[in-house]
Amino acid sequence: MNHVIEMNGVSKAFNDKKAVDGISFTIGKGSITAVLGPNGAGKTTMISMLLGLLEPTEGTIKVFGSSPRDVRVRERSGAMLQEVSVMDRLKVREIIALIRSYYPQPMDMDFLLGATGLAPADLNRYAEKLSGGQKRSLSFALALAGNPQLLFLDEPTVGLDTTARRHFWDTVRELAARGTTILFTTHYLQEAEDIADRILLFSQGTIVADGSPEEIKARMVKQSLSFLPAGNAAHLRGQLLELPSVEDCYDKDGRIHVTTENTDEALRGIFTGGLAVRDVRIHQGSLDEAFEQLTMNREEDTK
Amino acid sequence: MMRLVAVQCKAEMLRIFRNPYYVFWSLLMPIMFYFIFTRVVNTGPDDASEWQAHYLMSMAAFSVMGSAIMTMGIRLVQERTQGWSTFIRITPLPSSVYFTGKMFGQTLMHLFSVLCIFLAGYLMNGVSLTAEQWLLSGLWILAGSMPFLALGTLIGFMKRVDTASGVSNVLYMGLAVAGGMWMPLDIMPKLMQRIGHWLPSYHFGDGAWRIVAGNHPQWGSILILLGYLAVFMILSVYIRKKQEAV
Repeated sequence: MNHVIEMNGVSKAFNDKKAVDGISFTIGKGSITAVLGPNGAGKTTMISMLLGLLEPTEGTIKVFGSSPRDVRVRERSGAMLQEVSVMDRLKVREIIALIRSYYPQPMDMDFLLGATGLAPADLNRYAEKLSGGQKRSLSFALALAGNPQLLFLDEPTVGLDTTARRHFWDTVRELAARGTTILFTTHYLQEAEDIADRILLFSQGTIVADGSPEEIKARMVKQSLSFLPAGNAAHLRGQLLELPSVEDCYDKDGRIHVTTENTDEALRGIFTGGLAVRDVRIHQGSLDEAFEQLTMNREEDTK
Repeated sequence: MMRLVAVQCKAEMLRIFRNPYYVFWSLLMPIMFYFIFTRVVNTGPDDASEWQAHYLMSMAAFSVMGSAIMTMGIRLVQERTQGWSTFIRITPLPSSVYFTGKMFGQTLMHLFSVLCIFLAGYLMNGVSLTAEQWLLSGLWILAGSMPFLALGTLIGFMKRVDTASGVSNVLYMGLAVAGGMWMPLDIMPKLMQRIGHWLPSYHFGDGAWRIVAGNHPQWGSILILLGYLAVFMILSVYIRKKQEAV
């Protein structure tokens, strides 16, 4: 029972178009997993299946060892969906109290009020009068109402301003420290890198990479060197491409860039060969670039 | 479980009474009609006080039928399009409790409408009925609203609020006119009468008309209303199954 979520060969097709295609993974207790991918990669479809809102076309899904539709599963999990969902003509406070009443062991009311990050005056307003971002904050509190052991957050920070976003992640970290298992989708790569201890990279309904942010980075991100030519640039380019450790060579922002698996080897080659370069810089690729590279490659593959 | 139902009912009640728009519209038209057709236009019936009581029942039934079809339907569509129903589905709340809350809120609203319209009849025309007649006719109207609530639930499956409000308006007005709520069926053409006798709205009104005339609702009316209720409920279960099986 260490696996909170088990997905086994899960596919979901809408009118013969596969939104999710043969996905298998498990999520351990207490982990924070980011599901990362561009729009239309199948992230929301996958979350909907995990929540029992959609039935998979193929494969099996187990949450806490049971079907996602089991009421005991629902009592132990909470979710923040993408759609803004509030009930009209109820005050923020009343909606939170209402949803709390659905669960056997609800979260402390004050904690939930705090989780919204709303000012006391806003807590007494009708929920439909809140701004889009405030509604998102409210739906975050509603996701926590049942004191969930498993929390799903689908694109949670869309529409939140910087302050609200920071408050949101602080609360998420606090929950994680208490042992809550968290699964969130995002296309903000920085968020995945900062918060998650595991990233599932989605593209076209499949998982194209799975690992810790560092692993994904190490595997995907190419390092590069850049410098200014000290002599003839064309001649230098020819020399560079002859070095075994250099993979590619291109111009960008007035500098010559080379990509390589090993910057040490490339540098040694450049200096022992006496290549005419100056102002050498080493670049560490960001996860952003890796992500773009990976998902773009996939798109090109399928064309 | 009882606590859950109670909390849900309370929330629905708050929502309905904080939204005076619905309550206002469900009362305004019936009371205006009542005023016009009993005080302004002399429709010249043989017995004025009998007509005043008869038309009071028509308008009470008209009002309740309207909120059952329209308020119920439009609210359900709103909750779905706003994603609220989806959110409720992922909570442990049984959908039966959710639905019970809705029905309770609606019934309270109907009760409120009936009381207001009865009071209007009393104040405008001094309609006087026995305590038993007031009570029975009121109960009949509350209970008889069930098939219309089920019809409202069907409207609630529509995709857009605009469509739902258009369709429910047409159904509402059509049922009211053809069921003899605005004008008694007796003064309509034969064909209209024949159609009217098969409509739930006619039998809904007829039960109350008979009570205030000193009779009892006919078994036929009860059967027809139950029949419509069954058909609407079966349809609604079928559509729900179909929509959820994705």
